[in-house]
Amino acid sequence: MKINLDEIFDYTSFNIDRDPHIILDETVCQGCDQRACTNCCPARCYTWDEENKKMTFVHDGCLECGTCYVVCQKDAFTRWRYPKGGFGVSFRMT
Amino acid sequence: MKTTYDAIVVGAGPAGSSAALTMARAGLDVALLERGAFPGEKNMFGGVLHRLTALEDVFPDFWELAPWERHIVKKNLTFMTQGSSFSVSFDNEAADTPPYNGYTVYRPKFDNWLAQEAVKAGATLLTRTTVDDVIQEQGRVVGVKLLRDGSELRAPVVIAADGVLSFTAKKAGLRQARFKPDNQGVCVKAMIDMPKEIIDDRFGLVREQGASNEIVGNTAGVRGGTFLYTNYDSLSLGMVLELGSMMGKTTTPYDLLNNFMEQPQIAKLLRGGKLLEYSAHLVPKGGYDAMPELFGDGIMVAGDAAGLCIITGLNLEGINLATQSGVLAGQATIEAHRQRDFSKSALKTYRTLLEESYVLKDLKMYRRTPNMLHNDRIYTQYPELVCGLMDEIYRIDGQPKETMTKLLLRKAKETIGLKNLLADVYSGWRAL
Repeated sequence: MKINLDEIFDYTSFNIDRDPHIILDETVCQGCDQRACTNCCPARCYTWDEENKKMTFVHDGCLECGTCYVVCQKDAFTRWRYPKGGFGVSFRMT
Repeated sequence: MKTTYDAIVVGAGPAGSSAALTMARAGLDVALLERGAFPGEKNMFGGVLHRLTALEDVFPDFWELAPWERHIVKKNLTFMTQGSSFSVSFDNEAADTPPYNGYTVYRPKFDNWLAQEAVKAGATLLTRTTVDDVIQEQGRVVGVKLLRDGSELRAPVVIAADGVLSFTAKKAGLRQARFKPDNQGVCVKAMIDMPKEIIDDRFGLVREQGASNEIVGNTAGVRGGTFLYTNYDSLSLGMVLELGSMMGKTTTPYDLLNNFMEQPQIAKLLRGGKLLEYSAHLVPKGGYDAMPELFGDGIMVAGDAAGLCIITGLNLEGINLATQSGVLAGQATIEAHRQRDFSKSALKTYRTLLEESYVLKDLKMYRRTPNMLHNDRIYTQYPELVCGLMDEIYRIDGQPKETMTKLLLRKAKETIGLKNLLADVYSGWRAL
């Protein structure tokens, strides 16, 4: 048994809003040498491409925990809010 | 749609629903707002609900009504390394009869039940309703603005029970814009499917008895801890990891949890289990000194939003404090309506009630604990010391034995250092 985030949609349910609840200004991330979001996010929503010096953020599998909101030291978010009512993660039993 | 109420509660979790229930029972017209499709949809916790004395006043037969999984009779504390573990187990017959001391629950079921009780009492539950902002007039909170269409709901009192990040408290100017990563833990959890009979056999349980296990160690040096709880026919295995400790490392929460599941003593317990759900949430672990302002003109803050959480390593308390704070915020609102005064000085009643209750008494008593737990040795060296000691005590290898005192001193010197040990014992004594 293993948590494999490539398969997260098999175990955790989502109702994804096309309009993202988090918007990241990726140019800010280029000036960040810490990038704690990449290892702290429990849903692996943030990936850093070292070769192209580019941060990629995907909100699809976001568990809405707030980790990125707390660890970001650069205020890189132009929007950080919870999804519109009824959208986002839907826990069944946790 | 109706837009004016006697009180608005943001968040239908344990704090919000307790507040709404209290106020609705007293005849107030309450709106209970929930951003999920149903209450509990967005909520996650470790899995053990402590006894809710605040709700037993309302439901004397709480355990007959609330949807729970198992009641906890067996509490285990384990020190763990990659290959060994040392446990202290307390199995208590007194915990096998109501009022039970604690239960495992599923939040989507439990939170929904509590919110529906508030509805039965007369509260208006509005689901799929995310609050975008608070409405302020002359420095006083008079309502909230909704995200879906910018529409407004108004009430002389708003109770912010919108969870750990509480944007409601932030927008009302009651919490600081930034959280300290050291004061927040990310909790990740795997729900694991397992037949009831197998759980009973592996954990030594019968009927609806449950076990809880708190584990220190085997977190790759990250400050945090692991828990394993029994539900009726599933297990909850999760970790709380301090964000300040995760920052600067390369490991991830799910790698740590995966690694933990492979630890031989844990792997035996999980064998044959199937992953059902993966979830994550933040835990406000800063304690008394990290709390926001608890009240302002026309607003009060309750539950996780108020940082009401106590983590000692032995007990992890949150929902009991949340329900109690919700009930007290409700009572303060009832009193404010009686006096027709919703100013900050009138709502100070809420803080006074909290101070008179166990909520702020306990938070104050444990105010040094977060600092004590900010000690890396607890998470690596101490589990190694304990397990290393046991290994040498039990080991038969044809070598002459040392006296217990000599062995203890040698191992403590090797793993911790005597000076550190004395300092840690002192700080542990003061904090607990």
